[in-house]
Amino acid sequence: MGRKIPITNRVRELREQHGGMTQAQLGEAIGVTRQTVIAIEQNRYSPSLESAFRIARLFGVGLEDVFSWNE
Amino acid sequence: MPFREKSAWIMTLALLLGGFVYFRAAGVPWSESDELASPEIPMMLAYAGILVAVAVAGHIISAALAPKDAHAPVDERERQIFNRAGHYSSFVTGFGVVISLGFYILSSSGDLLFYSVFASLLAGQIAEYALQILFYRTSI
Repeated sequence: MGRKIPITNRVRELREQHGGMTQAQLGEAIGVTRQTVIAIEQNRYSPSLESAFRIARLFGVGLEDVFSWNE
Repeated sequence: MPFREKSAWIMTLALLLGGFVYFRAAGVPWSESDELASPEIPMMLAYAGILVAVAVAGHIISAALAPKDAHAPVDERERQIFNRAGHYSSFVTGFGVVISLGFYILSSSGDLLFYSVFASLLAGQIAEYALQILFYRTSI
């Protein structure tokens, strides 16, 4: 409950680089709700591997360009 | 606020209200002078009526305010939230039922057993919705 997630991400940054894609648009593209996108960006939720790949593919980058392990 | 978090708030409110009315009508001893009434079907119907009325009205209003959110399918994070909330709340129900069985051994009162098991189920449900709200607001 409320644990610190050791995975950081650049989802917000990538979203802004891609024409200011909204959180709702990103959520729709990868099949999650806007609230889940917000939780991912705020490091409150680590997405499933499938969603992580969907995000990376959507932005045309590798998985490690989006997510990184940060202890 | 996500639609399903609103839904959890509505259900928490409905369960608290229904539970309060039910146990008030049952005369569960709030003071030593009160007597415990035997469980009756009309009391159960009143409880169910309150629960359904608050839940239906709350969800209709909530869905009308955010129809797109209401129609969105449950996603992976929400599934985790529901699974975890259900898992932890089952301990509340189980603990309550065990305590209820202890009451029965001590008192041999079937009425008390009924009310304490009913209260355990209610507490378990309230805990489940409260945990959903908590998990929506924190990391899981």
